[in-house]
Amino acid sequence: MTVTFLGVRHHSPACARLAADIVAAVRPAYVLVEGPADMNDRMDELLLGHEPPIAVHTGYRDPGRRHGSWTPFCDHSPEWTALNAGRAAGAELRFIDLPAWHPALAGVRNRYADAEARYGEATARLCRDFAVDDADALWDHLFEIEPADGLAERLAVYFDLLRGDTEAGPDDTAREAYMAHWVRAAAAHADGRPVVVVTGGFHRPALIRLAEDGDRSWPEVPRPPDGATARSYLVPYSFRRLDAFDGYQAGMPSPGYYQHLWEHGAAGAGRLLVEAVVARLRARRQQVSTADLIAARAAADALALMRGHRHPARVDVLDGLAGALVSEAIETPLPWASRGPLQAGAHPVIVEMIAALSGDRTGRLHRDTPLPPLVHAVLAVLGEPGEERLDLGEETGRERSRLLHRLRVLGVPGVLRTSGPSPAGGAELTERWELTDSDERLPALIEAGAYGVDPQEAAAAVLAERVPGADLDELAGVLLDAALCGVGELTGQVLDDLARAVGRAADLGALGRTLAVVLAMWRHGELFGTSGSATLGAVVRATAERALWLAEGVRGGPAPADLRRIEAMAAVRDALRHAGSALGLDTEAALGVADRIAACRDAPPDLRGAALGLAWTLRGHAAGDPGRAVRGAFVPATAGDWLAGLFALAREEVLHTAGVLELLDELVAAMADDDFLVALPALRQAFGFFPPRERHLIATRLTGLRGGGTSPWDLMRLDAAPELVAAGMALDERADAALRREGLIP
Amino acid sequence: MSERAQRPPAEVRHADELARLREHDADDRPPGWALSLRAARRFILGDDALGVSRKFVGDASLIDRSLVALATQRGLMLVGEPGTAKSLLSELLAAAVSGTSTLTVQGGAATTEDQIKYSWNYALLVAEGPSTRSLVAAPLLRGMAEGKVVRFEEITRCPLEVQDCLLSPLSDRVLAVPELTGPESMVFAQEGFTVIATANTRDRGVNEMSAALKRRFTFETVFPIADFDTELLLVESEATALLRRSGVTAPPRRDVLEVLVTTFRELREGQNARGDVTDRLSGVMSTAEAVSVAHAVGLRGWFLRGEPGTAADLVACLAGTAAKDSPEDLAKLRRYLERRRHGAQWKALYDARHLLPG
Repeated sequence: MTVTFLGVRHHSPACARLAADIVAAVRPAYVLVEGPADMNDRMDELLLGHEPPIAVHTGYRDPGRRHGSWTPFCDHSPEWTALNAGRAAGAELRFIDLPAWHPALAGVRNRYADAEARYGEATARLCRDFAVDDADALWDHLFEIEPADGLAERLAVYFDLLRGDTEAGPDDTAREAYMAHWVRAAAAHADGRPVVVVTGGFHRPALIRLAEDGDRSWPEVPRPPDGATARSYLVPYSFRRLDAFDGYQAGMPSPGYYQHLWEHGAAGAGRLLVEAVVARLRARRQQVSTADLIAARAAADALALMRGHRHPARVDVLDGLAGALVSEAIETPLPWASRGPLQAGAHPVIVEMIAALSGDRTGRLHRDTPLPPLVHAVLAVLGEPGEERLDLGEETGRERSRLLHRLRVLGVPGVLRTSGPSPAGGAELTERWELTDSDERLPALIEAGAYGVDPQEAAAAVLAERVPGADLDELAGVLLDAALCGVGELTGQVLDDLARAVGRAADLGALGRTLAVVLAMWRHGELFGTSGSATLGAVVRATAERALWLAEGVRGGPAPADLRRIEAMAAVRDALRHAGSALGLDTEAALGVADRIAACRDAPPDLRGAALGLAWTLRGHAAGDPGRAVRGAFVPATAGDWLAGLFALAREEVLHTAGVLELLDELVAAMADDDFLVALPALRQAFGFFPPRERHLIATRLTGLRGGGTSPWDLMRLDAAPELVAAGMALDERADAALRREGLIP
Repeated sequence: MSERAQRPPAEVRHADELARLREHDADDRPPGWALSLRAARRFILGDDALGVSRKFVGDASLIDRSLVALATQRGLMLVGEPGTAKSLLSELLAAAVSGTSTLTVQGGAATTEDQIKYSWNYALLVAEGPSTRSLVAAPLLRGMAEGKVVRFEEITRCPLEVQDCLLSPLSDRVLAVPELTGPESMVFAQEGFTVIATANTRDRGVNEMSAALKRRFTFETVFPIADFDTELLLVESEATALLRRSGVTAPPRRDVLEVLVTTFRELREGQNARGDVTDRLSGVMSTAEAVSVAHAVGLRGWFLRGEPGTAADLVACLAGTAAKDSPEDLAKLRRYLERRRHGAQWKALYDARHLLPG
């Protein structure tokens, strides 16, 4: 018996070629491939003759955990070529890894990520020794563009070095033990014929060690626990999604480029990459001259020569293009120098280069493939075309509405909402939909099937995908859609992404609007079941903190009152008051911010007033001496704007703290006439924050204070337009001045 | 070169390394170069086997691209924030490529063509008339005649018309000296001549360069150190060395340095590790500044209390370096220090925030 262990990098063309060659040459009894063992009895379905990229999508749900993950295959995946070559050679094919729902793969969304990235020490050392930027450049340098002879030995040396004495984590250890069990069993049952094992290179050294002794019976395929559902289906996949994994989920980048490498070799791939980039740039009317192309080509060839490559490798071509096409300072480092997603602010030329690397190929399933369960789930309940009117007051109406919203979010054609409730518009309880038939529906559903097995799961996955990079309005849209679709809680990574999106917001007014809406949904979203939702709670917390941070950064001194930012401060107040203890908001820190803004001379007056009001209302009776604070902060020239902020935040406190109204009366009365006229519009705006009943209360107290015989109603009702009164007062002032000049009055 | 020079040029500082590299250099050299491209790369990025130290922390591919640009008859333009070691890189590249890094023009508002191309010894000029004897060659003329790399520091600080005197040397590879006659009136660039210019993005920036000149340069943007751990390591080693030279025997505390480097990175990028957009200071928050703050923190701790510097020392030192004399930056810094975070040193930083002057 001979077992050939081939350690590969997933989606590597060089490894794919090697895997096919070895299987064809050895003609083994068994081909064992790292992949979900529960797919073993569906191998025929996988090899029907699909057009990659395709993926096995596994959805898992139990009461405590929900998980979706992919096992993607392209033309140039070693697993794919090994299976196809094995089938051609008449070998038995087996996947030997744990199923995707297994707890050992709980954190994994992409089965074919680079395992060694989780243990980065050795890779970093190698990169330094070879003077390359990162592991991807190193991989190209060592394997993809080198001639194929001795590849297997070089791979083995490389992965032995990477693995070294690294202690794998418990999850990887469990997977390796399971895979080794399969290897032992296959070797025992092969009757002396060869066995080929294709796994990630990181696992190979451990498998060789573990396969030596132990149980030689066929291992059992784990079954999902009771009360849990786990389903796997084949779905069409795309290069774009394959390239969108990041962090520990990331595998080999740039599938578009490696597809060219697989089909045309290194020289052809370089040429096609340049062509694709130039075509994309010219389509966007960016100038790319022949001289630039010559320079790019010369630089790429020179870099290849210097780095010892026979043909320009991926980074050689990219470096050459960047040098020739970018003739200014760039904002973010070149993305191929470090792993991770493209950063905002990348140079447009660079963006097009990355898009060209990714490629836009999408896969197609053979027509005999069983349809993903999502398709059945939807077609069974969608119903006939026509108009529908749903009563959201009833559970059946809400249920139907959620389904249609999920389809809308999934981008299924022919599902259109014509009217219904919106977050801003009152309590509308009916919703109208228009359903039309469409040829596009089935393909769209199959594609959506990659996101989940039922509409709820799929919609949740699509919404989660929309969060990274969203601005505030888009974010609000995602949260609203999540509520409308009834997808329940967004968790884990999505919550982090949400907090990150909020952390990027720069407009206090927009942030305040979002906070108000989200807080309202968190407090009273009975209709959509969003009350007290942890997702919304996390957004409330992040938004309130961000709003305080932004408020403290507003500078610029006197400016007219900005209602949007005053409302933002009010939203912060509401969040602290109604959700502060439930969500663990830091009231102490908020008070610190408010005190600093209130005392800051550079802050605009409305914000200072609002900050004073915020601190006052949060401290309540513990607020020291508000009268003193008011007197200290009152500046006649900006009094109106300042009061607008104060009243908006601490209306009640102003009315019901003894002496404050009287103090304000005294301060306003002491204003010079000029100041008063300037402040008048703002003062009117400020008092507009009081509802009529409270305005009447103020008037009553003021007339009482002044001891005059006028009724409070007279103070509130003004027959003339305010502009006219102001003009009259200005005229009085001029007349007084003239009289004073002539010595007629003192 | 006198033995007591404060900072000898790179080719003197690393003369033995250059000699070893030359000796073991088996690869082809571009015409006029002192080293092959690979040996030049090893000079800058280090080579343990030959005992060559790593002199520049950054992407290896940046060095590759820069060397290739120099070898392909285009000038090299290094742009980036202040304090990203552009000048050091330009010095190292010049030393590696032509063995001398001293043909340097320092750009400034008062830079004239005389300082770049050539001027005259006026006594000789009056006595003998224009001749090669009375000609005083400036770096550009010398670089062209000798086939060496000419460094042009802070090129965007020069007036546009002065910058443009590089045009014909870079495109036609010739410099006319119209005062002379005969073959001496044209100086043709010898193999090995090229220009490395640096410009920082804080000043007037490269937008003020003429398009014609831009086209003759390959642009390379030098970024602050991308990796936190690398920057921390660099700050730690540099600060430890500086402190030892100042007579401080206690090495800086790792946790305090972590806080310091994080602070510098966040104030420089205007965002934290999670991506929240925060304030970006207008002052220079380079690694070099971080080293000098770490030095100052260590000095304070040692000479005031006889212990390594603490987070409180950090607050006291930050105002002078980070905010300099800008009240806006001081306000931003104060706002930054008001944020609470987990960790003992962050707590100490928060508790010491009132030490920020002003």
